[in-house]
Amino acid sequence: MPITLTQGLLLGIFAIIAGLDSWLEVLYIFRPIISCTITGIILGDVTMGIIAGGLTELAFAGLTPAGGTQPPNPAVCGIMTVVIAHTTSVAPATAMSLSLPFAMLMQYILLMFYSLFSVFMPVMDKAAGQADTKKFASMAYLMMGIVGAAFFIIIFLSAYAAQGPMSALVKSMPQWLIHGFELSGAALPAVGFAMLLKVLLRVEYVPFLLLGFVVSSFINFSNVLPAAVIGVVFAMIEFFRDKKNKALQDEIDELKKNNVSGGEEDGI
Amino acid sequence: MASNDDIQQNQTPTTPKDGGSKLTSHDITMLGVRSALLQSAFSYERMQAAGWAWAQVPVWKKIFGKDKKALSEAMTDNMEFINTSPPLVSILMGLLTSMEEKRVDRQTIRGLKNGLFGPMAGIGDAIYWFTLMPIVGGIAASFASKGNPIGPILFFAVYVGIFLCRIPFAHLGYNLGTKAIDVIQDNSEIIARVATIMGLTVIGALISSYVSLSLKVKIGAVSLQKDFLDKVFPNILPLAFTFLLFWLLKKKQVSPILLIALVFVLCIVCSFFGIM
Repeated sequence: MPITLTQGLLLGIFAIIAGLDSWLEVLYIFRPIISCTITGIILGDVTMGIIAGGLTELAFAGLTPAGGTQPPNPAVCGIMTVVIAHTTSVAPATAMSLSLPFAMLMQYILLMFYSLFSVFMPVMDKAAGQADTKKFASMAYLMMGIVGAAFFIIIFLSAYAAQGPMSALVKSMPQWLIHGFELSGAALPAVGFAMLLKVLLRVEYVPFLLLGFVVSSFINFSNVLPAAVIGVVFAMIEFFRDKKNKALQDEIDELKKNNVSGGEEDGI
Repeated sequence: MASNDDIQQNQTPTTPKDGGSKLTSHDITMLGVRSALLQSAFSYERMQAAGWAWAQVPVWKKIFGKDKKALSEAMTDNMEFINTSPPLVSILMGLLTSMEEKRVDRQTIRGLKNGLFGPMAGIGDAIYWFTLMPIVGGIAASFASKGNPIGPILFFAVYVGIFLCRIPFAHLGYNLGTKAIDVIQDNSEIIARVATIMGLTVIGALISSYVSLSLKVKIGAVSLQKDFLDKVFPNILPLAFTFLLFWLLKKKQVSPILLIALVFVLCIVCSFFGIM
């Protein structure tokens, strides 16, 4: 179904809100599970928005800015997944794969802003030196304004203006290609999890990873809560053991210190 | 950039002057809310510095009153590089605000800030990105992928809660004062370790639940997936694939974007030849 001008504008406005949220990392409405749902509401296809949100959220589970690399923008990916699924009636998993180029475009624009905004720093330094809080604030507003405008333009153009060529492109794709995109939609979460493992995994933690994997493979349950509870159990065991070890270590250090200062060799 | 001005300022007696007034509980609550501006002026040069300073401008204005010099010194000092965890930052803001209010010398405040933002970033990433995000996202997504609106509602509620925690955190930092420093520094390693254990257990479960790969290939009448792999161990293929990507990331330094491209190419090729 085509997107009307009103829907296009509403999507653009939502993109400003979600985009600024992804810039500030405040309410996390930029995460796909929320941005897909809201887009679904705007397009009058709520259930599809929620389903797409679930899929896309998992694909982004490990794609976080915490490791130092900026991932494809989740807000844009969420909005475009639902837009593509709505306008071309492909499956949400396929739509998610097709939305990634848009999310990457936004990622590169944000990376450019990160570099570019360094030029505002001397201006803010000067305002700080003069205790000019108005000028200081206006610079911060300017940066947020630029970011918000970029999100509006990208989403309005991709969702509204480019929908014709987009659906023509999807219609011209052979079945094997569409199926390939669907497969990659289902395999993509592995990239995110691999990125999380890169940051977190050390040999001593492998047992916990395998434990979660085995529990979830054999407990036939629709969510990961049982595994999370088992994770909490082990985390608590480790926490109390660490505390105890630390207390013991402190005691040993204390004894050693007393021993050295007392000069008695037969202390320990 | 330790200028001579700063050092001279340190040696002058630190008594309140020029109409600075005491902060109220409401001011600290607003500080917690304003901590949302941390990344408002983000740039690679100084990361969160300008947003960090901007969030605190109202409390400084109140503390320093008409003393423009003190205000400009506070603003200038806080324009130095900082990069820390957004959901936890209000603790640090509260703590440093209590010291600004007591007119502790600038060098001490600056040293504390520089000593604490790194460890707090470590704790914050471990708790929020690597533990809470997979757990909350995984559970919410398991509802959402069946079209159940509880999924996004639950997710939103949790993150609004996390945002509101910034307010008690600001009060916590403000009231704990210097006591907080020992607590943070003593426990940061244990907290990060414990959070990692929880996070990895959940990630293991997510790999088995949400990475799906299955082969269509048949050798004679034997389906490779149903009659062989599923009998060896269910979900063995997703686990193996995740570890392959992990190995490429960690040992071969392949970039994440290249990995995404690799997944696409692999899936499309497999689709073309009817392997998957």
